[in-house]
Amino acid sequence: MMTLSRQTLLRISSMLALALCLLLGAGLQRDLSSASAQDVQVSGPLAGAAAVRHLRLWREMRFHLEPFFAFTFGDEYSRSLIVGGEARFHVLDWLGIGGWGGYSVATLDTNLTQQVQDKGVTTNINRLDLPSRENFPDQVGRLNWWSGVEVHFTPFRGKLAMFQKVFVDADVDFFVGAAFVGVEERANAVGRPVPGDVTFCEIDGVMDPGCLGSQVARSKRVAIAPSFGVAFTAYFKKFMGIALRWRGVPFKYNAAGTDASQQRAPGWGTIDSNDRTRQFNQMFSAGFIFVLPPKIKTTD
Amino acid sequence: MRVLGGIALLMASLWMAFPTAVRAQMEFSLDEVDEGKTKPAQKSEDRGDLIEELAAGDDTGEGPVEPAPQHAEIAEEIYAVQQIYALRLKRFELAPSAAFTLNDPYLNHYGLGLAANYWFTNVLAIGVNFIWYDWGTNPLDRGTSLIPQIQDQFRLSVPINDWQMGLWANFTYVPFYGKFKVRKKIFQWDSYLIGGVGFMRTEPIPVFDSEVRSFNWQTNVAFNVGAGLRIFLTRYLTFFTEFRAYMWPDQFENVEVTPGPGRNDPSTWLQSGSTFVANTSIQVGFTVFLPVKFEYRLPK
Repeated sequence: MMTLSRQTLLRISSMLALALCLLLGAGLQRDLSSASAQDVQVSGPLAGAAAVRHLRLWREMRFHLEPFFAFTFGDEYSRSLIVGGEARFHVLDWLGIGGWGGYSVATLDTNLTQQVQDKGVTTNINRLDLPSRENFPDQVGRLNWWSGVEVHFTPFRGKLAMFQKVFVDADVDFFVGAAFVGVEERANAVGRPVPGDVTFCEIDGVMDPGCLGSQVARSKRVAIAPSFGVAFTAYFKKFMGIALRWRGVPFKYNAAGTDASQQRAPGWGTIDSNDRTRQFNQMFSAGFIFVLPPKIKTTD
Repeated sequence: MRVLGGIALLMASLWMAFPTAVRAQMEFSLDEVDEGKTKPAQKSEDRGDLIEELAAGDDTGEGPVEPAPQHAEIAEEIYAVQQIYALRLKRFELAPSAAFTLNDPYLNHYGLGLAANYWFTNVLAIGVNFIWYDWGTNPLDRGTSLIPQIQDQFRLSVPINDWQMGLWANFTYVPFYGKFKVRKKIFQWDSYLIGGVGFMRTEPIPVFDSEVRSFNWQTNVAFNVGAGLRIFLTRYLTFFTEFRAYMWPDQFENVEVTPGPGRNDPSTWLQSGSTFVANTSIQVGFTVFLPVKFEYRLPK
């Protein structure tokens, strides 16, 4: 098999990206300056008229209440199934503020968790990481509840046809804010007698033979993290719609419940906050939107 | 490298092939409406044509209707129905793209793809898509941090397969389309569902007995389903992003090493059964519709 060096691959990729950018940049410059995507170029009696008349204001000065179901994905060890709700108020049709919250009603272990449970091996070298393979699902980190406040921008709106029969208004909502997540992790413990040759653990000065108690000991905290995402909303009634939403909430936690510290680095030989690794937690949600007041206003 | 160069050349040649006159023809303004050809729409069922349906609106009356004699002057509001910005009917679509795998926890896969579709109605297309993953690098150089982590912490090795390429024949259906406004520009978009069957070539990476075992590429029957979003930048050039799930039964390396002479028997190197693999990926790219020029057939 032909082998290319990383530098060659990087060079090829750079050239390709550059060619693509030049190609598309030149094309867009020519086309967008003439009429694309679709400039509103009106002459004659309609010149100067509003681009849209009788525009339905789905958001301006209205509340959106949205019960939703969500699931996380991309998790290494455990996924969450979430039931929650969201409330938003929009001062303008394109700007609003809101809060959301949800509770993880169930968790699903990943295939990797199942494999560790079935085939993991425990020795004194890794006893702190895996005291027993059977109880491994009990040591992984869980995300129990979620909440947050976010600012919403809705720059794109329009209408769509479904199956050439149903025509609905729709918009795309971008949001950014802060999230508060209830994290449940493996509790702090120290491997004894020495890191790399552990026969028992010490939890708050108490001996734990084989670290079996440490494996299932839990601690809880609230993680504060940025949150952001994008949602597609379609309105089927004057007071009701659906929303499909992707949200990212990246933060650090000890997802595997192991001693992730490098050898001789701070925290080596212990389960503690140094073992938290960055996880790009992301979820997809689907919800119903109820709009208040139910009566909708339109522009002139 | 040849594939990369080929794609770049293809895109460049397509771009150069677009005459300036064609772009001028694609300008969208009221000036392009040929008043002499504009006639009232008839019942849309005659041809099943979307334009006719849209033009016909709710007029479902049977047969020609004689206009009643007008006795009084009426101030009737007249609505202009806009033509669909870009028709797909009887056009070819070429779509180079980059593919990023979302759900392989062990290896990063980077693919370059090319799709070709023929639209035999305005909402249905048949075509093929191809993705190349094998860039000659050592697959373990693309390994995630999870591989050493589970080896160190759980004394666990997992069988891993690398991918070479995939080729699928697909049907595409566009159930949703619409437009959105950004400042003074109106962008047309559509959302499509895609699915098909083909093959995927994969190769186990020797992990459990790498001194003895070596593997060749194996061809697996593969299926795929997905959904995508396409935004028209011009009447022939679009940006698209799609979510695809490629699925196939794959054979991984046997985690057991047969003692004695059986160790050298290649028939013992693979697991006896197949494992169902689902590669979920995001693809991002551009599509070019050919011919770049198309004509509306207005209802008689």
